[in-house]
Amino acid sequence: MLDVIHPQLSWRDVAEGDAIPTVTLDVTLRRLIVNAAGSWDIFPGHFDRDYARVHGHRDAFANTSLLLAFSDRVITDWAGPRSRIVRRKLTMARPVYPGDQLRGAGTVTSRRRVDDTYLVDVDVELLVDGSRCAEVLATIELPADPSA
Amino acid sequence: MSELVIGTYAEAKAQVGRLRHVLVSAGPVNEAMIKYFASASEDANPSFWDDAFAVEQWGGTTSPPAMLVHWVLPPPWSPGEPSGGPLAPPVLLTKVPLPGDTVINISVDYTYHRPVLVHERLHAVEELVDVSEEKTTRLGVGHFVTTTATFFTTGDEVVATQTNVALRYRAGGNHA
Repeated sequence: MLDVIHPQLSWRDVAEGDAIPTVTLDVTLRRLIVNAAGSWDIFPGHFDRDYARVHGHRDAFANTSLLLAFSDRVITDWAGPRSRIVRRKLTMARPVYPGDQLRGAGTVTSRRRVDDTYLVDVDVELLVDGSRCAEVLATIELPADPSA
Repeated sequence: MSELVIGTYAEAKAQVGRLRHVLVSAGPVNEAMIKYFASASEDANPSFWDDAFAVEQWGGTTSPPAMLVHWVLPPPWSPGEPSGGPLAPPVLLTKVPLPGDTVINISVDYTYHRPVLVHERLHAVEELVDVSEEKTTRLGVGHFVTTTATFFTTGDEVVATQTNVALRYRAGGNHA
């Protein structure tokens, strides 16, 4: 499938202040269960609504890796699949429940070169109903130049 | 269902800098688990789905970075274990003696040295680096537990490091 074109940003295409467009994902109990099973994370808070409610939640809640995977998708949907996540710190602000719609968008905060590595720092916010559920600070490595 | 390790804050503090745990993958990084995982976030990145692209770009289909810890978790049950399995995957966080009988993650900070490719086998070494004093949160009363994990591939090459903060708590008070 190498004939499929995958748009890709290079380091020289990117500037501080560039916007990372919004990506959305509807959160359902099915998605929580798929993610819990796909990550071998059998903790019942991620699929057992009764367990979650007894432990202070209004419903089952998304596991961390769904938010990590979604924030990585926000970044690579924008930058392209030849981008590599070098560092990523995610800090939760509130749990994510079935019925929520995740919205992820971000900004380029800096662009720097370390030896022969071309790095871009980004700040991605994950929102539900307009309020932050997680903040992500990431560094990605991009190709230096647009491909010929 | 076996529970988390329960104990006192003093017992937990005594384990800081001492408690370690090794997690070893049950099998190699593979396309089937990668595709299932990527489906949860509907991530169409061809590094996960298109072998020809991934080979040309990375040398092979790559693990989603978010999936790293999951490669080193054991199956929910294995021969010889009691029926039902543990409450949570047996990461270090569950083995810290604390009053909290449940857990929620607060932050995770990963540094990835290179992509992890299919057929690699991973293991991780976790260490307990901090336990906070008792805190009252929206979910209940508990302690913030900071752990680190170093991820190795065959040959003991370090492919990633991680610092995780989670809350071990007992529900009560104001609900979120």
